[in-house]
Amino acid sequence: MMLWKNTINELLKIATKIRSYIGIGALTLLILIVLFAMKADGKSYIGFVTASFEQTLSFNGKILNGNLIAFIIMQMLIVHVPLLISLVTGDLLSGEEASGTIRMLATKPISRSGIVLSKWIAATIYTLIMTVWLGFLSLFVAKWMFGTGDLIVLNSNGLLIIPEADLAWRFALALLIAFLALWTVATLSLAFSAFAKNSVGPIVSTMSVIILFTIIGTLDVSVFDAIKPYMFTTHMAAWRSVFEDPYPLSAIWESVIILVAHIGVLLGITLIRFNKKDITS
Amino acid sequence: MKSVLLVVFILTGVVGFGQTAEEILKGVIDKIDLVEDYQADVQIKAAIPFIKVPIAKATIYFKQKDKFKVESKGIAILPKQGMSDLTGFLSNEKKYSAVLGEAKTINEHKTRLISILPTDENSEIILAKVYISTSEDLIYRTVLTTKSSGTVSIDYEYNLNKKYGLPNKMTFTVDIKKFKMPKSVASDIRNNEKKKKYKENEKGTIVLTFSNYLVNKGISDEVFKKD
Repeated sequence: MMLWKNTINELLKIATKIRSYIGIGALTLLILIVLFAMKADGKSYIGFVTASFEQTLSFNGKILNGNLIAFIIMQMLIVHVPLLISLVTGDLLSGEEASGTIRMLATKPISRSGIVLSKWIAATIYTLIMTVWLGFLSLFVAKWMFGTGDLIVLNSNGLLIIPEADLAWRFALALLIAFLALWTVATLSLAFSAFAKNSVGPIVSTMSVIILFTIIGTLDVSVFDAIKPYMFTTHMAAWRSVFEDPYPLSAIWESVIILVAHIGVLLGITLIRFNKKDITS
Repeated sequence: MKSVLLVVFILTGVVGFGQTAEEILKGVIDKIDLVEDYQADVQIKAAIPFIKVPIAKATIYFKQKDKFKVESKGIAILPKQGMSDLTGFLSNEKKYSAVLGEAKTINEHKTRLISILPTDENSEIILAKVYISTSEDLIYRTVLTTKSSGTVSIDYEYNLNKKYGLPNKMTFTVDIKKFKMPKSVASDIRNNEKKKKYKENEKGTIVLTFSNYLVNKGISDEVFKKD
């Protein structure tokens, strides 16, 4: 009961902070810019995708549709949304320490683990809101602006066309996996937050880890092959696998398990660190 | 008896092989000219290297001389050459010269090869080899060599609309150049997986199955306006 009350309290704290709206505002602005750009010059983007085949084949039907725009937006933003998430979640514990409210928080009839868990649940809900907002803008607004249709997906093996009727569950699953990836980032920044005394450190550290792991993941050097499958950044784009045919179910499960394992381990580290943290001096 | 056989042989020769390339083509063009406009449902089944596409359904519209439109709810992939451009090209007799070639049996239909060379130096079609059944005035195979699309081979099957020269099935075989992925557009998360190996140029086939032809029922020009 106390955990629930404290979680509500943490959500209210998030809601009253301006930085919480920076993320949502930036996400909205970014998506609106993409939608405007696609409305203005989307056909040339399509030409870029189909260029390899245009000499021999003609593509008929509504290629530039809401489903394609949603896919493009998800692909573009899934790299940048973690920064917007960590902007809020990186501040949850360290912000209390920086403002000196951590001791007051500790006087409440709730354990330190309860404090961490309520903040983690609040971070989870914030991440969920961001993911749902991303899904709403990219899917519903894009469909409202561009209409609906089959999805044309480009990967290194060529083009895949997925029928419209086969897309709703794919987008739902993709958003669920994207949420898991963002949840991992939120938990990572919360873990960093438990070690820091101001919120800049956890935010910068989270982004540094993402950038570092992403670079390692893209380096085609065999020395990193052993660790690549276990880096959470390798699995952050697992949502994209949902748009393959046939979709690699076992690989998707593997990504889900690794992301969930990261969340568990990082939450454990946060709990241990915060329980051992000296907040009295 | 021998003289009778000789007469029969000569007559057969006159009927079967006596026609010039222009005369054989005229039979086909006359059939094409019977069609002022048509509309048909088409099922498109494509097996193209580098492209995975489900079977698509579309409606096609044609109106003389060269109005052509494909309307599909989903994404439909069609060959760039050989849909309506060939008939338009054949109808303009001043723009090409035709040479009579060998006889060939295609799917049990006896045909004659007509090689068509455009006289216009800017023509997209460089050479068209058309296999025509002289008894039916129908094209059963076309091999188009084009400037930008390479070679396109088309096999035709006819059913109910033979009298208009409208096929119920067309099988296109097209050249597909090796796919080059724009790296800024796509990325695979598991890029260490084995990729399919393709040759520099591969052949793709697109099978169009036509149904519900509506011939000469009148189609408004509005239909052909771009969306």
